[in-house]
Amino acid sequence: MSIYKRRAEGARDFAFFALVPLVAFLLVVFIPFLLGLYMTFTDSSGLSLSANFMGLENYAKAVADASFWTSFAFTAKYVLVSVLATNALALGLSLLATAGIRGQNALRLGYFTPNLIGGIILGFIWQFLFAKVFTSIGTLCGGGALSESWLTSPGGAFWALVLVGVWQNSGYMMLIYIAGLAGIDKALLEAAQMEGAGYWTRLRKVILPLLAPSATISVFLTLQRGFMVYDVNLSLTQGGPYRSTELIAMHIYNEAFLYQRFQTGQAKALILFALLAAASLIQVGLMKRREIES
Amino acid sequence: MNGIRKAIGLAAAIAIAFAMSVDAEGSAKAKTDITILIGKPEIVEQLDLMVAAFNASHPDINATIVPLANQNMMQKLTVLYASKNVPTILNMSQEFPSFKDKLLDLSRESWVKHAFKGTLDTVTEKGKVLGMPMTVEAFGLLYNKDVLDKAVGKFDPSSIKTRADLEHLIAAVEKSMPQGAVHVSPMDWSLGAHFTNVLFADQSSDQAKRLAFLDSMKAGKVDLQKNALFNGWLDTFDLLKAHNANKASPLAPVYDDGVLALASGKVGFWFMGNWALPNLREANPKGTFGFLPVPISNSPTDYGNAQISVGVPAYWTIDASLSTPAQQDAAKIFLNWLVSSDEGQDFYVNKFSFIPVFDDFRAAPKDALSVQIVQYMKEGKTLEWMNNRYPADGWPTMGALMQKYLGGVIDRKTLAKGISDYWKSVK
Repeated sequence: MSIYKRRAEGARDFAFFALVPLVAFLLVVFIPFLLGLYMTFTDSSGLSLSANFMGLENYAKAVADASFWTSFAFTAKYVLVSVLATNALALGLSLLATAGIRGQNALRLGYFTPNLIGGIILGFIWQFLFAKVFTSIGTLCGGGALSESWLTSPGGAFWALVLVGVWQNSGYMMLIYIAGLAGIDKALLEAAQMEGAGYWTRLRKVILPLLAPSATISVFLTLQRGFMVYDVNLSLTQGGPYRSTELIAMHIYNEAFLYQRFQTGQAKALILFALLAAASLIQVGLMKRREIES
Repeated sequence: MNGIRKAIGLAAAIAIAFAMSVDAEGSAKAKTDITILIGKPEIVEQLDLMVAAFNASHPDINATIVPLANQNMMQKLTVLYASKNVPTILNMSQEFPSFKDKLLDLSRESWVKHAFKGTLDTVTEKGKVLGMPMTVEAFGLLYNKDVLDKAVGKFDPSSIKTRADLEHLIAAVEKSMPQGAVHVSPMDWSLGAHFTNVLFADQSSDQAKRLAFLDSMKAGKVDLQKNALFNGWLDTFDLLKAHNANKASPLAPVYDDGVLALASGKVGFWFMGNWALPNLREANPKGTFGFLPVPISNSPTDYGNAQISVGVPAYWTIDASLSTPAQQDAAKIFLNWLVSSDEGQDFYVNKFSFIPVFDDFRAAPKDALSVQIVQYMKEGKTLEWMNNRYPADGWPTMGALMQKYLGGVIDRKTLAKGISDYWKSVK
């Protein structure tokens, strides 16, 4: 086949599979991103693009806002806790779901189902659970920590958010770890077993190192999802009590649409993008080095 | 093979015949489609019934509601305008300044000269009236008349002129409800927009002086801690806090908890507005409710001790930038139908429990609460809604501070400092 014909076939295959998603990506993500970048250097609002250049004034105002950094620190705390908890739980569940128990496929489905429920509905269900069900159980059991709704104190609301986030995401991450476990060569495990390695030694020395690629992906996804949480935040705590559980996405949304400060809101969104991109690149770079080719 | 082809051909012919007949019917009666964007979750079902009734009596117009569904109105409007997919009729409140150049001039409509004085001020730009006031809403201390009658025997609202009077009344009611006679809603919009309005509206009976007070707050010239009105206002809030039925967990209740608590008679008092009336009537169809002012001092003649806050919460506007002239006419017909036809007025007064703001209304509210509000308005015993003049982040910020105070996390000094610092940061 001539090189031109091969290139034409290659281009045709590309167009067939990738053109529609590429166009969608350009229209929905890339072009609005560029427009947003333009907006932060002018005094445009959500309704009209203006041409009054304001230099870096919007960024200066965004960085100077102390509540932005408070919200970011709170989000970082939330991400740290939920990434650790989600990955630990997902790893544990994946080991359980591949252990050869009868009915483990039904278990896998059960663990994955929370991920299918949309964030808003999830938040409403858990808000009802925290505010009404747990408090009723608490008062029936004679008071104590459970009788007061977790959502009325900043600490309790933080743990409520972590709980719902971990519950939602661990099923999805479990599937990633299961795929990683399926890719481990059985011969390696058998060889380790014959050499006298017990279950925990096999886990520590063979399985976990070989699961490093899955861990990279899983940590990356939980990191990104954790920073972008909005729907669960909105329906579970609405940023309360007294705006103490406003995650960064809600902070930016409120800045733009509730307080009608579109320019600083967009600037904050781009600062978040830069910080999150840096965090993800560092995370993937660090974890990729620990991956072993098996 | 031939038989199948004939069958397919016959089926196709029948399908085309159907399609053509339906199309012919559709084009014979060209309906004007208008859409209405409104965010009033308390009356969602009644709005649907109203639109169905309008469509039935106006066969050439097809109106549909675009519900706001608890979304943010500013975001919804921005998105709709950016995607050039704007509803014909927009029911908006604080978004008006951002969108006023896109709205239709309604100055020549017949209801303009019948609107109550002052209700058209916010939507009049350079002499052009750009919106129709939806209703007036009032907020104050709602009470369950049956509960109060049982406690003090035939309760007379005009007997409460001072904080001391209120305290005695609450004590009397609490004899039958020891856990607390008041329901304090902790929502930030209730505390930050409505309860703070009592503070800023009671400053003076003269509007110019009230606005000057807001200006001096912005200039940082007011020491709230030494302000007698501020301390009196917080003393009343402390009174409500002390008798809060949820004082063990004051930040836990949601809006519906207040509805159920007052309607069922579990509490006697709830600081809320008359928009809750449809919800209260649903929870307790036989209940009677009334309004008490929020007294902030012990002197009966002080301004604010005998008044309830009354204001226009939202305006009906018609989009002029993207709607066709036919749609604009249909929208004007809808607005006129709502306030001048018998059917529309029935929905307005009886189903939505709205207070009429037009002097030629034939239907009059019949429930005790609305009649009482009309009486307060007739006697001029109303406080302006200063919360309409807060900046967009006013009620969330002050609401968060009030929630902290309600939860006992901050004290009076920190609250005063927080409110002062917020107003100083407003440009």
